[in-house]
Amino acid sequence: MNVAVWLAVLVSALIQIGMVHWHRELLSQWQVLDTKQRELTQEQTRLLLEYSTLTAYGRIDQLARRQLNMTEPDNTRVLTQ
Amino acid sequence: MNATPRYSKTEPEVTGIARWRFVTVAIVLCLLALTVTGRLAWLHTIEQPFLFTEGEKRTVRVKTESARRGMITDRYGQPLAVSTRVVDVGIHPARVAPSALSELAQVLGRPEAELIRTVAQARLKKRAFIYLERQLQPDIADKVAALKIEGLQLTNGYRRYYPAGEVAAHLVGLVNIDHQGQEGIELSYDQYLQGDAGKRTVVQDRYGNIVKQVAVSSMAKAGKDIALTIDLRLQYLTYRELKAAVDQHSAASGSAVLLDAKTGEVLAMASQPSYNPNNRALLKAENMRNRAIADVIEPGSTIKPFTVAAALDSGRYTPGTVINTAPGYLRVKHKTIRDHRNYGKLDVTGVITKSSNVGVTRLSADLGAETMWQFLTKAGIGQPSGLGFPGETVGQLPYPEQLDALRLATVSYGYGMAVSPLQLAQAYTSFTQGGCRSPVSVVMDAYSPDDCQSVMKPGVAQQMLGILETVTSNKGTGRRARVEGYRVGGKTGTAHKVGRYGYEDARYTAVFAGVAPLTDPEVVLVVVVDDPKGREYYGGEVAAPIFSRIASQALRLRQVIPDDLTELELGQQVAKGL
Repeated sequence: MNVAVWLAVLVSALIQIGMVHWHRELLSQWQVLDTKQRELTQEQTRLLLEYSTLTAYGRIDQLARRQLNMTEPDNTRVLTQ
Repeated sequence: MNATPRYSKTEPEVTGIARWRFVTVAIVLCLLALTVTGRLAWLHTIEQPFLFTEGEKRTVRVKTESARRGMITDRYGQPLAVSTRVVDVGIHPARVAPSALSELAQVLGRPEAELIRTVAQARLKKRAFIYLERQLQPDIADKVAALKIEGLQLTNGYRRYYPAGEVAAHLVGLVNIDHQGQEGIELSYDQYLQGDAGKRTVVQDRYGNIVKQVAVSSMAKAGKDIALTIDLRLQYLTYRELKAAVDQHSAASGSAVLLDAKTGEVLAMASQPSYNPNNRALLKAENMRNRAIADVIEPGSTIKPFTVAAALDSGRYTPGTVINTAPGYLRVKHKTIRDHRNYGKLDVTGVITKSSNVGVTRLSADLGAETMWQFLTKAGIGQPSGLGFPGETVGQLPYPEQLDALRLATVSYGYGMAVSPLQLAQAYTSFTQGGCRSPVSVVMDAYSPDDCQSVMKPGVAQQMLGILETVTSNKGTGRRARVEGYRVGGKTGTAHKVGRYGYEDARYTAVFAGVAPLTDPEVVLVVVVDDPKGREYYGGEVAAPIFSRIASQALRLRQVIPDDLTELELGQQVAKGL
């Protein structure tokens, strides 16, 4: 009887140690992933801002007019049904 | 002589003295041991809770993580306000070694002497914590963290960027350095955008590395995104044209509101002067006014269509009913109401085409104050728009009891009342929505077709569009509002500005409110130019051309099929050489 109880205590102590270790491992893993997620979000935001700057209406308008010599079609060139 | 051996025998007497010493030493040693044990027991029992909490204080930290603020976008997902991660660098002056500062100064790109002075001063003043640098880019912050300086504290935060800058500044608003909404959508939807900050209890070592996570009270929840009904392309061009016109006429200010004619959604809303929300250092309060919402104007003649619509809706008038406006003026109580000249007999349509004050005065006198008030109220004049914007004005419409004959007359042509440009635009959507006006909305998915305020009969709304078209005809006051290829209608307005001594003679507000295209209305646009200086000041001269420029580009961008083909076909024949 006594031996069984001793064994149980020992086993549970070992399990507890294992659990704490596991918890810390998961925590550090989570931290790594969390940092990664932050970095990716940061990158995404940066790209989003860059994209919106590049596609800004005013910029496209300028590029079309100056570099590509484009202009609005005047009415003689509008197709009607 | 024998004494010598006896002396050697008295040695136990010497040990006797040693025993006394021995006892004393033993007692002292015992006392020492007792003291140590006692102290130990004391620390472990009575002092334990205090020491425990003190220990925790030095290692256990409750970390709050600021949540990422939601994004504000236009209707197609173009970003208008975005949060990016930045880092605040702070320092505990007492804990930092002076030798570490030179390295830090190098990474931060600041003069070393200045940094050392700052820290030394803070130490003299016994400050526990100071910020060295706020809103630092993450890549620089990573380098700072790599230095592993003791006493340095890095806090993650966010910084708000406004890609559209001054173009959408009034509508989007801005946040302060602590990321709280201060103006515009940022303020009115602050809660929604904010999200919830997270809270974790962790054990840290002295470098701030997390050793153990004790508890998580709440995870950080990012704020939700908001899509506005704004179309950024239309916003750009509206802003650009408005700015150009305000500069050209050296006007004090200006605003333009572009609404979707079918849903009442705000497609663009621009104000001049504007400000750059990305540079807080240059903010001026007067530039931050969203004039389309917060300013009131006397709408002047732009209200006349509502007087006429009320008359048509009463069933007693048709667009062809003749009204005698001769001799071009009318005495009401002690005041004379004048037209520009004597228009003689005008039909109801002609009253709008010529913008006859006498004509609308006669109509309103016939309808009565109660009917007029009810009609204007249903059109949203003097009523909150429901946008829930900070600083939004309700405008002002006198109650029927306050409307004696003279005040009723002035209200019929848009004086003695106050509306915001947004309210005016909203009122005009009652013509384009078949007489039933949806509340204006600035956030996507707020519009529902069932939720509308009936203003007039659908037939009357249709007739009104026809009447508004005559204003842009050759006979009308708004010729310069015309858009090539499209049938457009609207109404000009010129109101004297109110100064210190009543209406001023030479200062005006020029207004144009219009609809395009008339066959199947797409947009309602109101342009207000406040205090234009120069030879042109009439609504038809100042505001109508802006309307034309904005509307023509907006219709092209929205790919609206031209509905006025007569000119186009003429043009094509010319092109073919016929």
